[in-house]
Amino acid sequence: MRLFLLLATVGGSSVAQSNVVPVFAVGGVTPDLPLVLTVLVALRRGPEVGCIVGFVAGCLQDVAGGGLIGVQALTKALAGFAMGLLVGRLWVASPLVQVPGLVMLTVAEGLARFLLLQFFHFPVSLGGLLAHVVLPQALYNGFVGAACVLIAEAAEVARRRRWV
Amino acid sequence: MRSRRYGLLVSILLVSLLFLTVQTRGGGAAGAGEVVAVVLTPVQSVLVRIHRGALGIWHSYAGWKAVRTENTALRTEAERLRVEALQRAETEQENARLRRLLDLRERLPMTTVAGEVIGRESGGWVRALTVNRGRGSGVDQQTPVIVPEGLVGRVVQVRAGASVVQLINDPASTVGAVVQRTRTPGLVEGDAGGTVRFKFMARDGAQVAPGDLIVTSGLGNLFPKGLPVGRIASVEDKGSALFHFAVVAPAADFARAEEVLLLTGQTSRDVAALFGTGG
Repeated sequence: MRLFLLLATVGGSSVAQSNVVPVFAVGGVTPDLPLVLTVLVALRRGPEVGCIVGFVAGCLQDVAGGGLIGVQALTKALAGFAMGLLVGRLWVASPLVQVPGLVMLTVAEGLARFLLLQFFHFPVSLGGLLAHVVLPQALYNGFVGAACVLIAEAAEVARRRRWV
Repeated sequence: MRSRRYGLLVSILLVSLLFLTVQTRGGGAAGAGEVVAVVLTPVQSVLVRIHRGALGIWHSYAGWKAVRTENTALRTEAERLRVEALQRAETEQENARLRRLLDLRERLPMTTVAGEVIGRESGGWVRALTVNRGRGSGVDQQTPVIVPEGLVGRVVQVRAGASVVQLINDPASTVGAVVQRTRTPGLVEGDAGGTVRFKFMARDGAQVAPGDLIVTSGLGNLFPKGLPVGRIASVEDKGSALFHFAVVAPAADFARAEEVLLLTGQTSRDVAALFGTGG
């Protein structure tokens, strides 16, 4: 049941990324919902699950985007794994760590994707990419991540109260 | 545990790189993509269908909500417009009534006071109107009261700011009148049933027919001569009786009278021509 829910969430986020998220574009920038999901899952379930979720979500995004399949699968798998590893080392339960962490991870994932694409002669400069895509998206991801964290916290509190 | 963790990472990285390598080797781009697409496309199609379905439901709900809001607003607007239209119609009717009353007032060769009906008594014992003009407006007892159609009655009680008007269909009311066409004299009286009768018509010279207009005779100087009282509705023939009587349809509609004129002055002129009676 949990696995099914996780798969449905990953699939749903990928579909939402290609169908719903464009509606919420601000100045042409959209949040990377599968990445946000990957990070949040990795924070709760550790590096293995984060890595797998990142891989599947990235694959789905690659297929949906029509580009090279494997680029986002690789970078998001790395992001999920890295975030999962931090759980034991940093106080990641605090939203004050989670949200800036998500912003920085988005930047790191963007840079990794750019580096990987250099092998395939990706014809865009790093400066332009950072200024117009990666950094704005990182900020947007931060806002979306903060909202998700707050919602998750509220749901957790409500669940605890019900059990008490 | 640790090696398994990194093993998983390396495996995934290798799979990703494998995908990329296969795609970038000449003609193989479709290969890896298709392998993944074979698995993912049906899933994605289903998810998209679910998403579209959900989006459709959401759009339907949003549309329904918008229509409902719009419907409520339109209903409120329609209600407001209906009330406004009723008020406008009411104002127009009142305006027309007052204009007719004013026209008549300007034509009449005597002083008059316009009054508004503020009460009615039509129980059977007494048939009367209360008008918001009294002693302060120069109204006296026996002042005739009319509407543009004809005679309403006379003032029987004067108070400081109001007067009680006895209607011509009151059982105690008596008005001296003549049939306008034949000049047949008689008395217009009310009865307990609310009917108005023209009594004491001389049998021999009557020749009165339904539709004939009855006007005040002016005798006794109580009512000016020629005020329309009503039209003959039917003539009751009592055979060998000395007098006939007729049932009269009053010219004025007492139930609907809202504004009246009180004739506070006197005139010896026949005023019948000033009323649009067609008689």
